[in-house]
Parts: sequence; structure tokens; C-alpha cells
Amino acid sequence: MRLRIRQTWNHLFTLFSAGSVVLLAAALLVFLIPMIRKGAKAVVFRGTVEFRKMQVEQFDRGNTEALQKEIEQTRQVRQKIYAILDQFSSGLDTEKLADEVKNLYRDYGQLLRYQEIPKERYTELRDRAKEIRDHLLDAFASIDKDEINTHLDAVESLRDKDAFSGTPIETMFTMANDFQALIQHIDLSQRAVYAEELTKVQEEIYNLFGPRPDEATPQLAMKRFGATRWDVAQKHLEYLVWQEKWVPSDDGQMLVLKKVRRDDPQNGSFAGTELAPLFSLVENTLAETLHPRFKVYWQYFIDDSTPGHYFGGVGPEVLGTLVLTLLAMCFSIPPGVISAAYLVEYAGDNTIVKIIRICINTLAGVPSIVYGLFGLAFFVAYITTQPSILSASLTLSLLVLPVIIRASEEAIRSVPQTYREAAMGLGAGKFRTFLTVTLPAAGPGILTGIILSLSRAAGDTATILFTGAVALGPIPNFAGKWWMQPTRALSYGCYDITVGDKLAMMVPHNQFGMVMTLIVLVLCLNIVAIVIRSRMTKKLRGM
Amino acid sequence: MAQNISKPVKHHAAAEFSRPLRLSVTEDLRGFLAEKIGHGLLFLTTFVSVLAVMAIFYFVIQESLPFILKGGFRESILRVREFLTSTEWYPQKAENPHFGALAIIVGSLYVTICSLAIAVPIGVLAAIFLSDIAPFSVRQYCKPVIEILAAIPSVAYGVFAVMVVAPWLQNTLGFSTGTNALNASLILSIMALPTIISVAEDALSAVGREIREASYGLGATRAETTVKVVIPAAHSGIIAAVILGMMRAIGETMVVWMASGNSSRIPSPWWDLSQSVRTMTATIAGELGEVPKDTDHYHVLFAIGLLLLIFTFGLNMTSEFFMAKFKKRSRGL
Repeated sequence: MRLRIRQTWNHLFTLFSAGSVVLLAAALLVFLIPMIRKGAKAVVFRGTVEFRKMQVEQFDRGNTEALQKEIEQTRQVRQKIYAILDQFSSGLDTEKLADEVKNLYRDYGQLLRYQEIPKERYTELRDRAKEIRDHLLDAFASIDKDEINTHLDAVESLRDKDAFSGTPIETMFTMANDFQALIQHIDLSQRAVYAEELTKVQEEIYNLFGPRPDEATPQLAMKRFGATRWDVAQKHLEYLVWQEKWVPSDDGQMLVLKKVRRDDPQNGSFAGTELAPLFSLVENTLAETLHPRFKVYWQYFIDDSTPGHYFGGVGPEVLGTLVLTLLAMCFSIPPGVISAAYLVEYAGDNTIVKIIRICINTLAGVPSIVYGLFGLAFFVAYITTQPSILSASLTLSLLVLPVIIRASEEAIRSVPQTYREAAMGLGAGKFRTFLTVTLPAAGPGILTGIILSLSRAAGDTATILFTGAVALGPIPNFAGKWWMQPTRALSYGCYDITVGDKLAMMVPHNQFGMVMTLIVLVLCLNIVAIVIRSRMTKKLRGM
Repeated sequence: MAQNISKPVKHHAAAEFSRPLRLSVTEDLRGFLAEKIGHGLLFLTTFVSVLAVMAIFYFVIQESLPFILKGGFRESILRVREFLTSTEWYPQKAENPHFGALAIIVGSLYVTICSLAIAVPIGVLAAIFLSDIAPFSVRQYCKPVIEILAAIPSVAYGVFAVMVVAPWLQNTLGFSTGTNALNASLILSIMALPTIISVAEDALSAVGREIREASYGLGATRAETTVKVVIPAAHSGIIAAVILGMMRAIGETMVVWMASGNSSRIPSPWWDLSQSVRTMTATIAGELGEVPKDTDHYHVLFAIGLLLLIFTFGLNMTSEFFMAKFKKRSRGL
């Protein structure tokens, strides 16, 4: 019995130990899979015609002729949508209509003044035009259908074919007719609600199709194009068609907040109006209006981005990270490898060496934010006088120095003693032995350490936070004193794009895309290091 | 023999071995100087690490001194007391700002301890699995997993915490806010795990095979051997591993800055992990970018940095102590 219990315990113990390793692997997968999958959407997606337009205009890339053809095709379908929207909105926006009527009246006044007509006729026409204007204005201001109808009928009765044909007043009659047609379908007391909902609809239409061809190009790059990606277009389509609304519940007792279609015959805001066909039209013709096409946007890794990372890629960030880490490596590899060589080959076991070892361990344990503080207080304050590439990479080089020293020390120590003895037996001095025998033999190990510290430097954010990273800044152009400028970097960009930048919240694919770029960079470096090391161990074991 | 040495021998092979190979200083002055100078240069290069540690301490202390030593002796004592015992952290108030960092210090320790509570059991068990239980082929595949976990940048973990874990906590588990102590502790534990596992595994593997075999020979199961023999023998190494993991967690910036919610008060009740906390690292990272140079606020952030530096230095020394003890013991065994 006791033996059974002991054995059960033993099995449980094994199970739990294995379970914790499985848990680790699961944690890695839970982290990597969503990050990479969501990030991949920044690179592989279905691009719409707006995307190709953006590529041509912002990055000068793509076939302009084919694009023009495509735009022409989509424009025809879009025109229908715009027509419905315009008709409805022009009828609804009574203030605009009233302004238009006033303008028309003024134009007519001007016209009359320069015409050769008798004085009485002039006064008569003028008064009649004024009457028409006033009736129309009253009709636009009212929300009572009968009142509007009387006003519009009055307008109609004042119609005088001969006098007003070809004048601005004729436009007024057309407006009166349109308005009459419009008010048949809509509940005028809800005009404010319509107006509010209509702005949303217009906004979503803008988000889908961008500015209209006749509109002026907006200042902001993010406003210049419609939905560039098919998934974004789907999202905007949903916002366009569906609305959150308080509607009566099924038993009619109370109101519940529910998602309903805007053209839903019962509850939709635009049920029965002239706008209702728009929603199904947009829904059914979305593929024709946007022409989605599968796209591998590999230029994501080299493209610059528009403000807020709304469009474009992570090119400057990748470049900045590479510059920072490579410079940091230049500063830290020589002292790192030399220190390791000294500690293994020359140093004895005295107090100073002990102190040096303690210092290296301390250096490895200093939090990266304290490195950042030090970089700010020393490199930035005394050497570069402003946050810059140089001070950031110097600080990073201190951060990775202990990593390089430890890895190189281990690599040099693992070179078999027989190698050294053989070299010395051939008459080589200690220095020559190290340079021609030990160092090449330890090379792969040192290289592994360097690659690992490269990935550490590429991923560290707190160190460069105050010493040289900016969210938006110049791209290193390698002209003039480029090392005195701050730079963008992937690691800081990842922070900024997820927490700092409000604009980037609207483009989650780009947020994840940047993080994915960083993770993939670091993973690749690590996999290279792991492969080098496993080959090395095989070689060492083979000998 | 003595005669042979004194007699000049014209490059006679046998005679070369009869005198010491090393040339004296006068015979090979250039070689001697080259070696000494080379040795000196190598030493100086190695000394860079020492200089770096000294410089880090010097500059962090230098920038935090204006806060500590401002005003008279009495005043500075009061300031330091407020800094360490008050939870009133209002450094940006124009008049009468408060620099009480207690809530921040407690917040740092809070998430660190919570993350260790998750990471230590899992980490030690995983280390046992890797050193004692897993066959070589399994171990070969586990090592890269741990290395990759260690290599993933902290900011990527931070993004994961904000964009994946926080919505999950908030929407699925119904927390009032997704960025809280629990979120930060979970992610920190994942980050501390690789350190704990690799150091603990080294410690466990260093325990000699003989004592394991002795235990098996007495009829103990593997679980009993591990718990009663191997872990006691490796306990200093495991303690060192835990301390190193703690250092990793307490010094971590980006994850806690992004995931902990950053509200500077002590969680009450103390076990409520769903509350926001703020850590020392996050305070420095979040506020230093916005404060003008040479203000009290600027210097107090360096004082927090100094405190952090002292913490990690102390922890480092403790882990060195346990490491040294472990090495001595395992050598003695």
C-alpha cells in the first residue's frame, strides 16, 4: 500500500514536471501565434483599388495606366451610390437649401436690374420672386407636412412659364418639386435624427471610397484614400449598414439596445426613405467598387509611413534599429572579446580579477532603465548634448558588454587545452597561440554570443527611451553628422504605436505588423545562433 | 651540467633543452616590453567593465544628490523620510509637490513577488524535468524554447499584454480593467522563467551523479530522490536562480509600464490582483521624458533609479554569495 502511494507520488511528480515544461511551450505558442498571425496581416492581405492608388501616389509604385482604368471602372458604380446619397442629403439639409434659394433670389434680382423692362413689370416680377422665395423658405423651415404642402402649392400657383423660364427662379421650382417628392417618404419630425445618422453614413461612405473625384485633395494623407484593405472595407461596411439603436423589445414592453440594419423596414433609421436602397447597393457592389486583390506587401519592411503609421511600413524603424545595434556592436565587441580573452588566458585568481568579475555580473544585472538614466546623465549630457544615435548606441553597447564577455569567455574556455599545447609546442608564443589557434576555434561560440547580444540590443527599449529614440523623426541618411540625430527604432516604435499613438489605434494591422517585424528579427537572430551552436557542439563532440 | 650551461654552445639541439627556454629581460627586451605592454593593455580593456559600473553609480548618484541634499541637513532627512515612507506622489504640483515613493516601491515589490509566486514553482519543476527526468532528445528541443522565451524583447511582451491579455482579462474574465497587477505579474513570470530555469538547471546538473545513485540504491523513488536529496544539495544554486529571476522581474520596464495600469497607490486589500499598480521602472520611464532638466522631479526620478540600482546590486551580491557557496559545496562533495 505504501509502495503504491509512493509510486503514485512519483508519477505525479514526473507529470507535474513535464507539465510545467509543456506549459512553457504553450506560453510560447500562445504568445507567438497571435502576434505573428495578426502581424502577418500587415504584409499579406487583400488590397483594394484604393491601396493601389495609395501606392502610386505616396510611394510612386505600380502601373499608373492600369490603375486609371480600374478607377474608371469603379467610378461608374460609385457614381450611383453618390447619386442616391446626394439626392437624399440635399433634401434633408434645409439650411443649405435655404441658402441656395436666397442666392438664387439674389441672382435673379441682378438679372432683372440689367434687363430692359418697364418699371411696373419689374416690380411685379420682383415681388412675385420674393413671394416664391418666402414660401420656399417657410416650407424648408417647417416640420409639418400639411403646412409645407400649402407653401409648395402656393409656389406652384405662382409659376409663370413665360416670365421665369431660363432664370434662376426656374431652379427654385425644381427644388420645390424635389422637396415635395422627398417629404412623402420621411418623417419630418425626425429630421434631426436623420441628419445625425446621415453624417455617420456619409462618413462611412468616405471611409470606404475616399474623397470624391471632384473634391479637393485633403491635407492629411490618411484622408486621401478610402478603405485600402478588404478587411477594413468589410468593417466599414458593417458600420455603414448596421446601427446600434434603442428599439422596442419583442413584447413591446420596453426599449432594448439592439443592432439593426439602417434600412430595416421596422426599426431602421432610414426605413422607407429614398436612402434605403443605398445600403443593399453598397453591400452588393462592394467588390465592384473596390476591386480587392490578393497582395503580398513585402515593401512593408522598407517603406516609410505616413503620420500615425496609417499607411506605409516600418522601413525607417528597421533601418534605425539596424544602425543602433550595429554601432553598439562596434563599440562592445572589441572590449568584450578582449576582456574575455584576458580573463581566460592571462588573469590569475587575485583580488582585482575577482572585483572585475563581480563588476561584470553587476553590469549584467543592472536594469535597462538604469542604463537609460546613465546614458541620459552621461552620454547625452556630456558627449552629444542631445539624444542621438551615438549616445543610444553607446548606452546599448554597455548593456550588451557583459553578455558578450560571458559568451566569449565560455567559448574560449571550451577550446580544448590540447590545442594550445600543440600550438605552443610548435613554438608559438602565448599571443600568437591565442590569435591563430584559440580564437578561430572559439569563433563560432563568440559569434553565437554576438548574435544573441545583437538580438538583445535590438529588442531593448528602456535603454534608448531617453538616449536617442523618437517616435517620429528623421531617417538616418548617412550624410553630415547623422550620428548626432535621434532615430526611430523598432522597439520604441512598438511601444509608441500600441500605447502612445492615438492615430495608430485605428490600424491594428500596422500595430501588430511592427511588433511582428521586431519579433521575427529577434527570432531569426536567435535561430541562427542556435543553429551555429548546435553545429559547433556536434563538431566538438566529433573530435 | 653546470659547466654545460656556462659554455656557449653553437646552436646545438641537445643543448637547447639544457638551459631554460625563457629568455631573460636583457636578452629579449623587445619581447619583454611587448608582453608587459600587451598585458597592460588587455588589463585596461578588461577594466572597462569596472569603470562602467563605477560610472553608472557615479552619474546616477550625482543626478539624484540634488534631490537628497537640497536644503539643510534636517530638511534633507525629512525629504528622504517622505520619499521612503509616504504614498503621496504628486511631483508635478507647482507648489508644495510631494515625493512619497512608498506606493511605487511597494508596487514594484508587489508585482515582482506575484510573478515569482507563479514563476518559481513552474521554473524549478521545469528545471528538474530538464536535468533529471527528460531524455536527451527531449531536452534538445526544450532548450531552444526556453532560449526563445528569454530572447523575445520585453516591449513585444508588453504589446502582447496590452493588446491580447488585457482585452481577454476584461471581456472574458470580467475584470474592471485589463491592465492591472495580475496582467503584469503573468507576463513578468514568463520573462523571469527562462532565467530561473537555466540557472536552476545548472545547479541541479552540478549535483553529482553518485548521490543520486546512492539515494536510488536505498530504494527511493525519483520524486523522493529529487525532493529529499538533489534539491537540498542544490539549494544555494536554486536560491541564486530565484534571486536572478527576481532581478529580471524588478528591473523590467516596458511590460510593467504598459500592463500594470500605472496608478500609484498600494493595492488594498493586499491580495486584490485586479488593481492597478505602479512600479519604480515604470515611473522613471513614464515621467522622465516629460520633466524639464534640473528640477526636483527630474532628480527624484534619478533617486528612484538609484534605489533600483541599490536593490539590484544587493540582490546580485546575494546571488553571488549563494552561487559561491554552491560552487564550494559542489566542489567539496
